[in-house]
Amino acid sequence: MEIILLLLPLAILLALFFIGVFIWSTLRGQYDDLNTPQYRMLIDDKDCSKKGIDP
Amino acid sequence: MHACTHCHESVERAVYDEIIDPNLSTPFCCQGCLTVYQILHQKGFGEYYQIKESAGVLRKRAPVSGQPERFQFLDDQIFLDEYTELDTEGLRVVEIYLEGIHCLACLWLIERMPLMEPQIFNSKLDIERSVVLLKLAPQLKLSEVASLFNNLGYKPHVIKSSEDQRRLKNQEERRELLRIGIAAAGASNIMIYAVSLYAGASDLYAQVFNTLTVLFAIPVMTYSAWGFYQSAWNSLKNKVISIDVPIALALIMGFLMGCYNLFTGVTENYFDSLTALVFLLLLSRYFLKKIQERSLRVQDLDFFHHHESVLKAVDSSLENFQEVHAKYLKPQDIIKVKPQQFIPADGIILKGRTHTNNSLLTGESRLVSADHGDEVFSGTQNLSSEILLKVLKVGGETRLGEILKSVAGGWSQKSQILHVTQTVSQYFILVVLALSLILFVINLQELSLAASLERALTLLIVTCPCALALAIPLTFTRSLGLASKNGVFIKSDAAIEKLMKVKNIFIDKTGTLTFGRIQITELNILKEPLLPMADVILNLENQSQHPVARALIDYAKALKPQIRRTEELLETIGQGVSAKIEGIKYEIKNYQVFEHDILVATFKVKDLLRPDSFDLIQRLKRNYSLHLLSGDQKEIVEKTGQEVGISSTFSQQSPESKSRIVTETSHSLMIGDGANDAIALSRADIGIAVHGSMALSLKAADVYVVTPGLGPIENLLILSQETMRIIYRNIALSLTYNSLSVIAVFSGHITPLVAAVIMPLSSLTVLVSTLIGTKQLRSLWK
Repeated sequence: MEIILLLLPLAILLALFFIGVFIWSTLRGQYDDLNTPQYRMLIDDKDCSKKGIDP
Repeated sequence: MHACTHCHESVERAVYDEIIDPNLSTPFCCQGCLTVYQILHQKGFGEYYQIKESAGVLRKRAPVSGQPERFQFLDDQIFLDEYTELDTEGLRVVEIYLEGIHCLACLWLIERMPLMEPQIFNSKLDIERSVVLLKLAPQLKLSEVASLFNNLGYKPHVIKSSEDQRRLKNQEERRELLRIGIAAAGASNIMIYAVSLYAGASDLYAQVFNTLTVLFAIPVMTYSAWGFYQSAWNSLKNKVISIDVPIALALIMGFLMGCYNLFTGVTENYFDSLTALVFLLLLSRYFLKKIQERSLRVQDLDFFHHHESVLKAVDSSLENFQEVHAKYLKPQDIIKVKPQQFIPADGIILKGRTHTNNSLLTGESRLVSADHGDEVFSGTQNLSSEILLKVLKVGGETRLGEILKSVAGGWSQKSQILHVTQTVSQYFILVVLALSLILFVINLQELSLAASLERALTLLIVTCPCALALAIPLTFTRSLGLASKNGVFIKSDAAIEKLMKVKNIFIDKTGTLTFGRIQITELNILKEPLLPMADVILNLENQSQHPVARALIDYAKALKPQIRRTEELLETIGQGVSAKIEGIKYEIKNYQVFEHDILVATFKVKDLLRPDSFDLIQRLKRNYSLHLLSGDQKEIVEKTGQEVGISSTFSQQSPESKSRIVTETSHSLMIGDGANDAIALSRADIGIAVHGSMALSLKAADVYVVTPGLGPIENLLILSQETMRIIYRNIALSLTYNSLSVIAVFSGHITPLVAAVIMPLSSLTVLVSTLIGTKQLRSLWK
């Protein structure tokens, strides 16, 4: 059972890490538009740079 | 039969693109779609059609065909200053609402604008709102950008862009998401430790787990739950008891007790149930808010920007005109109004003679002729010919502006109802407080003061009306979502409750029961003319803007008429038209058709009833008392009343008197479309604006319908009744669970474990009850 003493802090650190990531991405505007990205990702990005226009 | 390559509309006689595809394998329904196709190919965006092919259509809305417009008023410096902003890098930030955004390919195309026009640096589309956020080089003319969108088939409407407002809104939304996310993280971590505690962790482990539970609960109970405390406090300040009061009470008590137990070494707390509750409540409220926002948004954008551009005389010669935004008109300006345009301000006709359609402003179905020197009003439509106007009043001074002011006042005067949740909450909190007091007194005779107090507090915690608070937003979310999917937008959940109580329905005539424009009801051919009648009508009336002429053309078009050689076409305004077609003299005047001056046919016109009006009225009559409320003349209103079977009619009503009649009747529902209905819409217990309504009425109403006809209204009434049935059922269910908790507390069987079973179970029950709905609700709109 002593292993809990190691696992518990690890679990908490993991939880805190993900909470931190969530807060960071929210504040950076990751979730500002929840509707468009789901469609945007369906489009193949052939023209990566401004110059490369497909024929 | 072909399908248009661009918009997929089926066409009989297609137009073909000969430049890009000489084999003529790409049919188009109209020149507009063809132009868009050619532009896309020339600019190297032909891939649009491949994307479109493979992507599902998001909305049932055909793209708008691009009519060439110039959008010069967008280059006005005053306009630019007010509607756009320069960002820190010196780029102009513009937000444009685009009509006709409907699929994935639109998204692809719009976001590739920077490739099409190098001076556009950034283009980002919010597909839900149909709003594109652009960053442009400041020297790029906004009118050119607007024309670009217009040529692609998306009609642009520039909306006010404010960085501050956007930031505020973003901040608020991010905060909401953070609250939900933190509640979710806290609740799920607590669950791990709570299960260990329930499973029998002892001694040191129990202490550690308990401490961790409290630590994870602190952000949830403070930061995430902050909104509940705030709203409970506000409602207490206003001397009402909202559902948040018992919730906040339970949360605070639970928090205090958990902390107290931590310090006294008792490994018992209710945080597992309470944090899960906070998370679920936040989530259900978030969904309800999202769906209401969607209803408000469509109203804000879709219909509000129609009459933006006005032709204003630059000098006194009245020869040169400049396009300006209608907002910047001033009295004494001289403007030109083209046929079919809406008149943007109250004014006097300086030149020209026309007919105006006043039905939206007054409810009158008859056309009004206006001559030199006559006054015309903002919000009416110029029909037959071009006129020059001297502006007398603008904005709030106009008749339309006066109505707008009354509408704004109407909202505050609207009868307020006590929400069913509020009523329940009031009794609920009284009963719970009384019960805990009783419990405290009873226990005091056997137990210590601390133990009795703990029991009493436990009662407050476990009777938290979580299922109730959860069920109601979810039920409304589901109903509002169902309605909006079918083109009925409900602005607030209170509207559903009010709809259920409706007893009297007031219906506007022009434009609501009827189409609001005249149509040919019968055409009697007395003597067969030499040319087909449809050809005669088309060739005579093709140029005319007169409403009767438009009605005749609509009638003739169904018979597939042909263009023929026409000479000496002469239209006398207010009289009729005459011409020689293939050498034969024809004339249409006074609802009669002549060939070589011999009467060959007569016809009748009427503002026809919508096809579904009659059946609907018959069905509604069984449960509601119906009234016809119109600004039109007595005979017409009474005749329409007889046709549809409504005996109670009010005619020649002004906007103000309409509103008075509606407010004097209790449980009133007003259905209308025009500005003349707007005050009544805003003051009735509930107002519904139908398809094709004026912007003002949409603003005034609680509900608006974007599909034509009155059919959706019947469904809406059923929806409201069924929704309230589910709400009552959910209240009954959750009160049952609460009673169980009370019994458990009184009999001394309550532990955090019992609460951890009862609370989720009750939430689950109401969730299932909401999702199942009722039989009628499931079959609605099928």
